[in-house]
This record gives sequence, structure tokens and C-alpha cells, in this order.
Amino acid sequence: MTAGRPPRQGGVGRLLLHAFAYAVIVFLLLPTVLVAPMSVSPEKYLQFPPSGFSLRWYGEYFADREWVEATLFSAEAGIISAIGATVVGTMTALALVRGRVRGRAVVELLIIGPVVVPHIALAVAMFLVYEQLRLTGTLLGFAMAHIVLALPFAIFTVLAALYRFDADLEMAALSCGASRIATFRHVTLPMIAPGVASAALFAFIISFDEAVVSFFISDLDRKTLPRKMFEDIDFDVSPVLAAVATMLSLLTILVLVLGHFFKQMADRRAAPAREGKTP
Amino acid sequence: MSARRPSAFFLGGRHLSEAASLALLVPFALLLVVVFLLPLGTLLHESLLVPAPTLEHYERVFAQPVYLRVMWRTLRIAFYVTLVALLLGYPLAYVMSRSGGLKLGLMAAAVLLPLWTSVLVRTYAWMVLLQRNGLVNEGLTGLGFVDAPIRLLYTEGAVVLAMSHVLLPFMVLPVFSALKGIPDDYPRAAQMLGASGWSTFREVIWPLSLPGVVSGCLMVFLLALGFFITPALIGGPQQMMIATLVSQQVREMLNWPFAGALVGVLLAFVLALTIAFNRFIRLERFVGTRS
Amino acid sequence: MARNAVNSEGRVAVHDLVKRFGSVAAVDGVSLDVAAGEFVALLGPSGSGKTTILMAIAGFEYPTSGRVEIGGEDVTWAPANKRNLGMVFQRYTLFPHMSVAENIAFPLKMRGIGRVERERRALAALETVRLAGYGERRTNQLSGGQQQRIALARAIVYQPRVLLMDEPLSALDKNLREEMQLEIKHLQQQLGITVVFVTHDQTEAMTMADRVAVLDLGRLQQVGAPRDLYEAPATPFVAGFIGETNFLPGRAVAAAAAGETLAVDLDGGGRVAAVAVDRLAAGAALRLAVRPERVRLAPSAGGLGGTVVEAIYAGVATTLIAELGGERRVRARIAAGTGERNWSDGEAVDVSWRPEDARAFAAGAAG
Ligand SMILES: Nc1ncnc2c1ncn2[C@@H]1O[C@H](COP(=O)(O)OP(=O)(O)OP(=O)(O)O)[C@@H](O)[C@H]1O
Ligand SMILES: [Mg+2]
Repeated sequence: MTAGRPPRQGGVGRLLLHAFAYAVIVFLLLPTVLVAPMSVSPEKYLQFPPSGFSLRWYGEYFADREWVEATLFSAEAGIISAIGATVVGTMTALALVRGRVRGRAVVELLIIGPVVVPHIALAVAMFLVYEQLRLTGTLLGFAMAHIVLALPFAIFTVLAALYRFDADLEMAALSCGASRIATFRHVTLPMIAPGVASAALFAFIISFDEAVVSFFISDLDRKTLPRKMFEDIDFDVSPVLAAVATMLSLLTILVLVLGHFFKQMADRRAAPAREGKTP
Repeated sequence: MSARRPSAFFLGGRHLSEAASLALLVPFALLLVVVFLLPLGTLLHESLLVPAPTLEHYERVFAQPVYLRVMWRTLRIAFYVTLVALLLGYPLAYVMSRSGGLKLGLMAAAVLLPLWTSVLVRTYAWMVLLQRNGLVNEGLTGLGFVDAPIRLLYTEGAVVLAMSHVLLPFMVLPVFSALKGIPDDYPRAAQMLGASGWSTFREVIWPLSLPGVVSGCLMVFLLALGFFITPALIGGPQQMMIATLVSQQVREMLNWPFAGALVGVLLAFVLALTIAFNRFIRLERFVGTRS
Repeated sequence: MARNAVNSEGRVAVHDLVKRFGSVAAVDGVSLDVAAGEFVALLGPSGSGKTTILMAIAGFEYPTSGRVEIGGEDVTWAPANKRNLGMVFQRYTLFPHMSVAENIAFPLKMRGIGRVERERRALAALETVRLAGYGERRTNQLSGGQQQRIALARAIVYQPRVLLMDEPLSALDKNLREEMQLEIKHLQQQLGITVVFVTHDQTEAMTMADRVAVLDLGRLQQVGAPRDLYEAPATPFVAGFIGETNFLPGRAVAAAAAGETLAVDLDGGGRVAAVAVDRLAAGAALRLAVRPERVRLAPSAGGLGGTVVEAIYAGVATTLIAELGGERRVRARIAAGTGERNWSDGEAVDVSWRPEDARAFAAGAAG
């Protein structure tokens, strides 16, 4: 033990604690990680370790019209939901941070509503109403449902960005003669852009992966990817599913990497101007 | 220019005017009314007022032992899941809060990756692992713990295990936030005053991390109560939870009023918890790589 | 840069301005008239309502009652972006995602001015603030003083009639601050622009402003040229806030109108002469204010007598603290090089002043 450093406490305890933490991480990652090698096995049933390497099940996925259509439909719904949730979420966040809102507590409760209300409750309730409104199985129906599910996250992401952004810059822009809308376009939006981009990203993945509500508001020929997976899993644990699962995990990794990139961008923007830097 | 005082409703100044704020909230309000409040309201309406005002469906929920058993099981499983998530999540969050740099980054990625991976994908992975000829059984027989493969899927243990796995990130992130917020000086000061490692934890760190623990437990418990996918796929009829029951009532029995009553009970529970612990629900923790 | 015509366009006036936040009156009935081309500083302690007044002029805060006029026009309820004012904030509010030149050109862009003209005028404004050649820089590559000069350039590039500044120099270190004070002052004179400048630093206000408006608790205490404020403070608050003052309680021997010389019986003994600031009745309680540098000291000769308890040497001047009877203390300042004798602790001393150097305020007066 070197002098000057606080003594490390409980060597053995610390070791056990770290070992336990790593074990938990393995527990968190292992199931999904194990599926990836299984998906490249040529055998008809899942095997670990795989008996060889083959992209047979990926090929089958791309050759199956149902899988491809479900994927495209999910992508469409995801993109529309991402745009919708980001636009509506940004508007809501702006009103909350910069505006005067009566009944703010009600608005805040409504925002967390779609998170704390169990998705099963929302799903059957939407099923009931969508039947009457003829929204079942429609893109509009999925998009509206997914926008509502993604909104809380979109709003909180933009809120966080707005809180980090120096509101005096908006005053400065107004004093320069910019209208409210010009201020938003030229100053606020560029400053919170990384936050808005992450909001869109996470709204997309929420919609793309959403299974419960989709399960109820799909109809026979328009179904999302998760709905198709749900049906197939219930049916049999085929290796095509392992391929789909692996691709979805890769998509998640891509989303997180992009999200991290946006966060770094946001950090750079929020960094206060350095002082005392001489020319 | 404007000599007359306009209505306060339209005055902005440094902030947006009330009128502008209201206008910004219109799409949000519309969406939540049409796709959130209206559906839930219609469903509750079915359960209470169709065809005539009645409490019979709610009485049925509490009078029939089958349904009582489902609700009791739902609460029990949600409780076990919360407990397992806390036991696994707290130490991990603690180690994360005392790490930095690359180590923290990798650990955070390991928590965020599952959080944002489709629940279906993760449930599917557990089904693969737990099936009769799955990896877990192979391991158990290989190591000689059991003679023949045992049934793992469709047991309550499997449901708790898979749900804990799916919900674990919701525990780790808030606890990590709370622990991260404790200044290093506090535990150091406690040790200077002669506290042992364990009593420092018990007297200083644990109490200060409680808001995060409450937040994590609340989130996991709330989500577990209404969980559908994982118990539906990993549990059998013997492990039916309330969500599966609701689904069954709607899809197989077409009994909307009763499904509405079940949802009503679930909502009452969730709403009470939410309002009681409102300030602990902090969504920004689950977004992106925010810590 | 073209010199703005000094006409009534740049006049700024607030009338009976009141701003309440809940039950707190941040501004409590302030009227102030700033002539076109004038430099007025709003001076007061923290929380005295300076920023609130400036915000009402800028259109970021709307008054509870009262009026704001710019160039003779009532703009009380006009939106901030329609007032055509320049504004510089305490923190450097440069837009971090724009270059220096883009920052300066921003107000021109908002006014629909074409790119070529924008660039030309931005360059001219850069020269005005002596930062020619900095146009392509990012804002975070500049020092604090440079950033504030850019903010200034951005606020004047569209030749507004009025420039508002809220403690623009308080984040800078002392030397830079003093340099910038003169620079802003010269720029203001060169452009002929009206400036309303908020500060809590009295030296800054006195150095820069044609007139200083002193505020306390949301009320205007006095408006006047720096010299008037110092030599003829209208209230005890102003006397105490600007420069240093000895306060001594006493009573009027006979009634006196404002401006008359009167005899005062000091509480704790002694009779002195002073000029009445307020109207005083015979026997009325009052507070006497005397600047330390106006206090004269002489060897004890039976006048207002006391003892030197402390002598503080500070190079340019020496401050002596004399204790009169009854816990009363008087500070006297002796400038270096005046040939005054040295005093030492414990010496008996006579304290006096010319009648016109002592000002008597009615004891109830604000402050
Ligand atoms: N938005 C607000 N809500 C409530 N009270 C406010 C608000 N703005 C200012 N006040 C109060 O009004 C009073 C005057 O504030 P103001 O900012 O004008 O003071 P100031 O003279 O600029 O002080 P400082 O030198 O500290 O900047 C203070 O008591 C302040 O607390
Ligand atoms: Mg201020």
C-alpha cells in the first residue's frame, strides 16, 4: 500500500464483489450472444456449438415473403413513428420548458402514462377502439399507437437537451430581431439537434421492436415483424428465428452506437466556451 | 406600436405565451386523448356500464378463486422478479459507480444493450436455452447434476428468471445514478471516523442510494405486473399472469366487460403506485447512454 | 461605421414602472427618462431591480403597471424582437454553432439583408470592436473579453437606436474590465447611441455614465451626474452606497428648510453646523452624513473631541478612526502628500468639518 492513497478496503470482499458484478454482466449478455452462433448452424435444429457455418437460415428469411413484408412494414411504421414522436415530443418539451402551461402536473402525468400503464391494458383497449375506427392493421393505426408509446422517451430526451441548452441564447436571438420561429430554427434547433436525433433513433427502435400492442392491432395480412416472430415462436423454435434475433441484436447495437455518437455531439455543444484562450 | 395591453394569454416576453404553449401541446393532447385515454376509457366503460351500470365483472374478479389465484401469482412473480433484479442489479450498479473510463463504458454498454434489445429476442433466447434439449439441460446433465433432462420451460422459476433478465436494466440504471451521485468524501469521511467497510455501506451508502433503489424497484415491479410476452411464452397455463388472462378473455372468450374489469383492477393498482411514487419515475435515465 | 444621427429616435423612458413577482415588488414605481445619445447606468445592490427594469425596456418582462417608451413610442407590450434594440448580456451569449462573422451577421440576416451586404457590415463591425480578422473563428476560440466585444459588435451591427447592457463586464478580470469600460464609452460616443447600462459596481457606473440612476429595493433613489451623486446625495442610502460616509445621529436645534444651514445637537454630545437636505422641524431627529475626506483633524482644543483609535496607512491615503464619546466613531481620510501630520493611536483629537460638507437627512428618510 503506497502512502498518500486511501487504503483499499476489504481485498477479498472487493474481489468477490467485482466477480459477482461480472457474473451479472455475463448473465445479461449471454442469452442473446449464444443465439448468434446458433443462427449460423446448418442443422435443422438449434445447436451449440454449431456444427458448421452456414447462412442458410438467413437466406431462408430473405426468401420468405412473409418475413420480408413484415420487416418492411415494421420499418415503415418505425420511420413514421420516429418522425411523429420526435416532432410531437419536441413541441411538448418546448412548451414545458419555455412556455407557461396551466395544469402542468396533468401534462406531466399524461407523459409518463404510456410507460406506467401496462402495455397489455393499452393493447386490448386499442384493439377495442381500433376495430370500431377501422384502424386495425393500418399503417396509421400502428404509427399512432407507436408514437404514443415512444412519446415519453422522446419528450424526456428533448427535455434533457433543452435543460442543458443556455436559454439566454434564445433571448439574445430575439434581441437580434429574430422571431420566435426564426429563433427556434436558427438557434434552438441546431443546439438541441443531437438530442432530437437520439429521440428519433430511440423512437424508431421502440416502434420497430414493439410486440404487445402490435399483437392486438395487427390483422391477418398486415403484421409487424415482432408480431410475426411472436406467432412463429409459439409455433416452433426454428433456426430462422435465431437469424432474425441476431439481426435485431445487431440493429440494436447500431442504434446504441449512433446514440452514443449523438450524445458526444451534444456534450461538445454543451461545453461552455473556453475562457482566456489568447489568439 | 401596441399601446393597449393585450390579454396576458398572448404575452410572451422571455417565455412563450400561454397561447403558444397551448398550441404546442395540441398534437400531444390529441394523440393522448385518441390513442390513450379514449381506448382505456372505452374499455373501462365496457366493464362498468354495459349494458347497464354494474359491478358484477369486478365482483367476479375477486370472487372466483381461479382469478384470485392469477392475481396473487402475478403479485408474487412481480415481487420475486423485483427482488432478484435488486439482488443482481445493486452490486453491479455499485461496481459501475466506482469505475470509470473504458471499464464503465463497457459495463454501461452491457446494461444498455439488453435494455434496447427486443423483448421478443431475449425471451426467444431464454426459450432456446431452457428447452428440453437446450444448453442449460445439456450443462446440467453433462456436469452430472441430473440424470435426464428436466423440464425447465413452463415453470414459475423460468418465468421469474427470464423476466428478471429482461427487467434487470431498469434496476441497474436508477441505482447506478443514485450511487454515482454520492460524493466520494462521504464514505471516506465515514471511514476516517472509524467505520468499517460494511458499516460504511450500511450507514452511509445504502441510505443515500435509497431513492435510486425505490425508483428501480418501482419501475421493475410496475413493468412486471403487466408483463405479457415473456410469461406468455415461457410460462404455461399453470404460470398464467394477469396479462395473459386479459389476452385470453379478449381473444378466446370475447368477454370484453370482464377483460375491462381485469384491466381496471390492474390500472387502479398501477395508478396508485405511480401517484404515490411519481417523483421517482425518471425516464431520462433509460434513454441513450445517459448516466 | 456610420455615425447615428442623434435625434429623439433614441430616447428611452419608463413611467411609473411597477413589476411584481407574486407579492414581491421587484420594481416599485420607477420613472426615468434617458435622452437620445445619453449613457445612463442603473446602479444598485443585488436584487434592487436593475435587471428587471432593463428586461422591461427590452421586452423580456412585462410590467405590472406603468409604461415603456422608446423614441416617443409606447412599446410597453411590443414583442422583444420588434423593438430594434441592441442587447449585451452578462454571460457571453454568442451562438456556439456559428462562426464569429455569422454571429455578427445574424441580426442582419433576420432583417432580410442580402449576403454580400451582411458580410460587408459584419466586417465593418468587427473593425469597430478592434477584432478585424477574427471573422472565421469559432466562438470558443476567443477569450472572455474578445467574446464580449463580438457580442457588442453583434448588438450594434444593425445600428439600433438603443443599446442595453446587463453587467456585460462583470465576468472579466479587473484590468480587462477597466480597459473595456473606456472602450465601450468611446464607442458609444463615436456612434452616438443611447446606452442603458446595468452594473452593481459604482466605479464602473461613475467612469462610464453621463448620468447614474441609483436604485434600492425597487425604488429610484436619485438620478444625476456622477459628481452630483457624490457631492450632493439626495438620500442617506445614496450617501452610503456611493463612496464612504460617516453617519451621526442628532437633532435639529431650530427648524430649517431644505438647503439652509442649521445647528445640530449630536446624540451623545456636541453641537455642529450642517446643511439640511430635507425640511427639518425644531427638535426633529436627523442623520448627519460627512465624507471621511472632508473630516478635519486638529490637536484637541475643547471642540468635538475624541481619541484616535486606529490609523490605517494605504499609500495613497491614510484612514484614521477617531472615537467620540458614546461608541460613536468617525473615519477621516488624509490624502498622501498634503503635509498633514501623522497621528498615532490614543492621541486626543478635535474633529470638525465645514458646515457645507455635512448633510442632514431627516431620520425617517429612506435608507
Ligand atoms: N422571475 C422572477 N420571479 C420572481 N422573482 C424575481 C424574478 N426576477 C427577479 N425577481 C426578484 O426581483 C428582485 C429584483 O431582481 P433583479 O434581477 O431585477 O435585481 P438586480 O438588481 O438585477 O440584482 P443583481 O445585481 O443580483 O442582478 C429580486 O428580489 C429578485 O429576487
Ligand atoms: Mg441583475
